[in-house]
Amino acid sequence: MGKSWLKRQSLLGYAFIGPNMLGVLLFFILPAVYSFYLMFTDYTFMNPAISFVGFANIERMLGDEQFYTALRNTLIFLLSVPVSILLAFLVAAALNKAVYWKKTLRALYFMPYITSGVAVAFVWMLLFQPTSGPINGFLRSIGIDHPPGWLSATESAMFAIDIIWIWFMLGYNMIIYLAALQEIPEELVEAARIDGARPWAILHRVIWPLVSPTTFLLLVTGLIMSIKTFGIIQAITQGGPGDSTTVLSLFIYQNAFRYYEMGYASAISWALFAIILVFTVLQWIGQKRWVHY
Amino acid sequence: MENVKIDSAGPVPSRSDEAKRRVRQDSGIKPGRVLLTLLMSGFALLMIMPFVWMIGTSFKSPAEVFVYPVKWIPTILNWEHHIRVWTGPAGFATYYLNSLKISLISTVGAVFLSSLAAYGFARIKFKGREPLFLLYLSMMMVPPQVLFVPKFILFDAIGIYNTHLALILPGMFTIFGVFMMRQFFLSVPGEITEAAFIDGAGHFRIFFRLMLPLAKPALATLAIIDFSWHWNDYENALVFLLDRNLFTVPLGLQNFILENTVDYNGMMAAATAGIVPMLLVFVIGQRYIIQGVAGSSVKG
Repeated sequence: MGKSWLKRQSLLGYAFIGPNMLGVLLFFILPAVYSFYLMFTDYTFMNPAISFVGFANIERMLGDEQFYTALRNTLIFLLSVPVSILLAFLVAAALNKAVYWKKTLRALYFMPYITSGVAVAFVWMLLFQPTSGPINGFLRSIGIDHPPGWLSATESAMFAIDIIWIWFMLGYNMIIYLAALQEIPEELVEAARIDGARPWAILHRVIWPLVSPTTFLLLVTGLIMSIKTFGIIQAITQGGPGDSTTVLSLFIYQNAFRYYEMGYASAISWALFAIILVFTVLQWIGQKRWVHY
Repeated sequence: MENVKIDSAGPVPSRSDEAKRRVRQDSGIKPGRVLLTLLMSGFALLMIMPFVWMIGTSFKSPAEVFVYPVKWIPTILNWEHHIRVWTGPAGFATYYLNSLKISLISTVGAVFLSSLAAYGFARIKFKGREPLFLLYLSMMMVPPQVLFVPKFILFDAIGIYNTHLALILPGMFTIFGVFMMRQFFLSVPGEITEAAFIDGAGHFRIFFRLMLPLAKPALATLAIIDFSWHWNDYENALVFLLDRNLFTVPLGLQNFILENTVDYNGMMAAATAGIVPMLLVFVIGQRYIIQGVAGSSVKG
């Protein structure tokens, strides 16, 4: 194994990763570097003369009321992640053992996840129709005279989107939980049952702690996935009414492609990156701590 | 899970014991189990209620849309909404062809290029491998929002903005795919390739003749996940496409809805057109999709 062998190995290695590396360089790395540079410029697309403005965009962002509104909306949006995870755990626990028609039910719960988010968002838009839509029709029929305006009222629009997102993510979380539940040794649950534990106690005291690594994984990946999403929100509310559903990722899109403030949009997009970085670091720390329970 | 030891639980029941117990559990109808099944079926119906309502509404007459109590099945099946959606000036037939073309080419490219790179990362020792892989890892954290503006400038400069290439070319590179396939190639035992090496085969031959056939299930999983991602992708199409005749299904759907704000039947016929093909693929390939989703995230 001389030097030439090593050299040949290296060349071979580059030959294998080369084609992919080229694309990753062109469509990921270079754009990321360029975006980092744009953050410090006043680039607006209309004005091709780029000038360096230092930290002006970051200062503007930190003083921008809309930025904080977007952060608040994002926070409300992210509330859907733990809710969806908890519901998915309950569904998975029920479907794992104690029901008939296991496979059919599993498929039904998973269905929303594989459909186009944009298409189903439009269905929900009509379901949520405030004056005569079926959801408010149902609420009135059970005696709620003033049901929420859902997507058309500033105070409820974000929560309506949360409901859609919980519904959308539930099936995915359930599938991951089902895989985790299958790993739990039968004997452990049996032992608890013999000791006289009630089903609810087994679920809460035995199974829930055992799947905690999965819960943690779903939480972090769900938060990261959700914070990057803006498609369904752009499709049905465009961030409105007012700016009540303008989440951070949508705020970036709007600044870049509605107002063509591309330097400013780049600065906010790196704020989004910073948040994702924090989640990722949390995941690394958590994985080390949670892998063995 | 391997390190969970339960010595105190007594002797581990043998296979036949367990089988007998299973039979005992499954035979006969248990009231608790029936109750839970009914409850879970109720929730499941709630989960698919939007789809049922969508399909029903796409066949209703305009007056029936918001009738309460909800009319799940219309009195007369009105096909005209579907016909309108599919045949209009830029109908869904165009959007379908566009989506199919973009998704298929992207997926084939992505599956091939990422398994090639994944083999390099997993099976060949070369200079700079670890730092390069770390670079890949870090790129997974960069949100698409960071990349939209520079990609827009780049595509405009090289003349592919507002063409399908703006979606296809970047679509052929998936970092997630490299990770997934690398994980698979790492799991293939060394003895399998060793024999081939002794017989004088090189890396390329081993990759094409030995590894790719072995990786068929993993490749299928990646292909399904990647295809559905491209098929449902709305955000990239929104940023990089302008002309209506280039639109993909999600973008065409939005366009239809913006132009027909009160045509609720048409909206739901359009949504049905956008959803039903994926639903059919799912019903047919359900087992593989669910296994793929479960497997990819547990291993990856």
